[in-house]
Amino acid sequence: MNENARPIFTVAPRRASPAGWIAIVAVAMLAVVPLLCGGPVVDKLTTLCVYVLLAVMWNLLAGYAGLVSVGQQAFFGLGGYFALRLVEAGLPPYPALVAGAFASAGIAVPISLFLLRLRNGEFAIAMWVTAEAFRLLVMFDPLVQGETGTSLLALNAYEPDLRRNLTYWVALASMAAMTAGSYWLLCRRIGWAARAIRDDEDAAASIGIETMRVKRVIFIVAALGCALAGCIWLASAITFQPRTNFGVQWTVFMLFMVLVGGLRSFEGPIIGALLFFAVQEIFGDFGAWYLAGLGAVAVAFALYLPEGIWGALRSRTGIELMPTQVKHP
Amino acid sequence: MSTGIENRLHLNRRRFVTLAGGAAAALTVPAGVRSAFAQGDDVIRVGFVSPQSGPIGIFGEGDPYVLDLVRKTVAEGIEVGGKRYGVEFISKDTQSDPVRAAQMAKDLINGDKVDLMLSTSTPETVNPVADACEAAGVPSLSATSPWEAFYFGRGAKPGEPTPFKWTYHFCFGVGNFATLYADQWSKVETNRRVGVLLPSDADGNAIRGLLLPQLEKAGFTIVDAGPYENGNADFSTQINLFKSEGCEIFNTFPFPPDFAVFWRQAAQKGFAQQVKICQMAKAGLFAPELEALGSLGYGLHAGAYWHKAYPFKSSATGLSGLELADGFEAWSGKQWNQQVGATAALFDAALTALKSAANPKDKPSMAAALSGLKADTACGAIDFTGGPVPNCTPIGLVGVQWVKAKEGSKHPFELEIVSNADHPSVPLTADMTAYSVQG
Repeated sequence: MNENARPIFTVAPRRASPAGWIAIVAVAMLAVVPLLCGGPVVDKLTTLCVYVLLAVMWNLLAGYAGLVSVGQQAFFGLGGYFALRLVEAGLPPYPALVAGAFASAGIAVPISLFLLRLRNGEFAIAMWVTAEAFRLLVMFDPLVQGETGTSLLALNAYEPDLRRNLTYWVALASMAAMTAGSYWLLCRRIGWAARAIRDDEDAAASIGIETMRVKRVIFIVAALGCALAGCIWLASAITFQPRTNFGVQWTVFMLFMVLVGGLRSFEGPIIGALLFFAVQEIFGDFGAWYLAGLGAVAVAFALYLPEGIWGALRSRTGIELMPTQVKHP
Repeated sequence: MSTGIENRLHLNRRRFVTLAGGAAAALTVPAGVRSAFAQGDDVIRVGFVSPQSGPIGIFGEGDPYVLDLVRKTVAEGIEVGGKRYGVEFISKDTQSDPVRAAQMAKDLINGDKVDLMLSTSTPETVNPVADACEAAGVPSLSATSPWEAFYFGRGAKPGEPTPFKWTYHFCFGVGNFATLYADQWSKVETNRRVGVLLPSDADGNAIRGLLLPQLEKAGFTIVDAGPYENGNADFSTQINLFKSEGCEIFNTFPFPPDFAVFWRQAAQKGFAQQVKICQMAKAGLFAPELEALGSLGYGLHAGAYWHKAYPFKSSATGLSGLELADGFEAWSGKQWNQQVGATAALFDAALTALKSAANPKDKPSMAAALSGLKADTACGAIDFTGGPVPNCTPIGLVGVQWVKAKEGSKHPFELEIVSNADHPSVPLTADMTAYSVQG
């Protein structure tokens, strides 16, 4: 960072905070879980990694850059679709999954040129429309056969335990890398610029922030994260059905986790993901009542605890594990 | 002050130790119990995944009823190769969500360590479950989803060897519709001109590519209105085309809610009045859909994969078709539906397969039993050695007609079997009549 561009506010700790070290140790411990625990634990943790990844990505978009998207399933679905196509072209499955995610992020580049000109509600709706358009286009592919879909059969070549563990490690690595990456991004100039845009885009532009560039970087990073999540989910479910992989439910999950955990804080979405995962495990069998309960919880949080669990905790106790808030010098 | 803090710390530490101990115990005890189960070789564990709530929950309405009967049948265990095994069924509801279907399948495979997986009703249920089983090497048997969607919809390619070692499926396919329609559409006098309404989805495309040429060969003139997107709200172009072409037969494979929209518009524009046969597929499986149409629904035609008049006994429940239907009506207070029998058929096939396996606790042996399975079910006989592809076998369809129930009936609609060319051992229950708009 050059001297002229030194920010007025400082936030990025020069060395890793204790919470940062704890996070590193936690990831290291999670990495050896498959060696110690059985299949059910590894499968559940893979799902949890997908949830955390999705929540962190949506918070990066909506919480930090003010880009409220209800169409992130576009990248979730496209990632899986590209992976399928790459496997069909002869690539081994795991490299194809990662490459598929990057290809999906590549698609986010041209999309950002158009969609980021829109703001607020218009952007949200346009993203949803984009996701639906991608679903329809993918359904034209004879490989996908309309709504029928297809399956990533190449993964069956792996022995079941190895496949489960590989998928888990890919999930853990993606989750850790994307979470650390977004934290790094948020502690830099671009992170501050994003927050300025969120608070007032015109004012941000008037003080010389290149709003389009900043929004584009955040948008593409979030697209990559969601696409990785989509590829991991495809690897663990194997089935690709356009209405499922491009389903709006993925965005609803993200919204729920971030709103309940705490928008605009770094810890919030992670807590939200843990909570959502736990609720799903414990109450998931209640069917319609479970869904109604989720809805009621989301409404209650939006009305009475708009800052989410972490936001409320922070304002009461002043705790800050991974500070991304402004601290006045 | 300091003692207070110490006290708190102390308490905290003690609580922590208790908690940690509890957690450790919680982690170890179930693991011990589970491994004892896994080692025990006298209980066969069977997973069952179906949609019992949510938008397609009507398919699974009768599943708990059927499952209860099957549990009673196997309460004493079953005998395989001179050895007695207990059979435990673990049922999971997908809530009509394919994501949850995949999760439930993985829970059953990894957590409950099932020896055999069963699933039923729509590709959204059976495909994710079968994929999880194929990947984990767990034998799986499924039903009630066109076999082409199960086989080609999971990445198998026509003309190539089957990529599936573990997953087996029995259900009707396109070929059954061809046989059925050729017969059913000859039951009333028409000009043999067929208006066809097929959406741009997978079923629509499969029917357009495979069924329409066969129907033309059978002597029908096909008027295809072309693909449309599911959820369409305005069908005037299609209706005008069918009217001007003078179609007296109408056939459609819609997303079920779209049919009511189409048929109301067809009645408003005078097309329904010229139609003598209105043949629904995918739509019109369940009475509530017809009840929503009201008097416009009297006389509509469809295909069915089970009916209470089927003459086959279900060995897994010990009941005949009529007993199954009556039992379900008494249990639920609702009208019987065709999935009740189809679910019973799945259990019939599953128990037969378990009994024919050399060792039902051994997965390759169980898969081998499925690949050569011949069974008598509530839906009729199935034979996996007969093709059309190694992992699938078709079951017959009957032609049915929804008619106004007789005076005094509890339900507004009754279902009559009017064509059995595709399933000759099923008796007809009524003569087919031409459709006419009533009310």
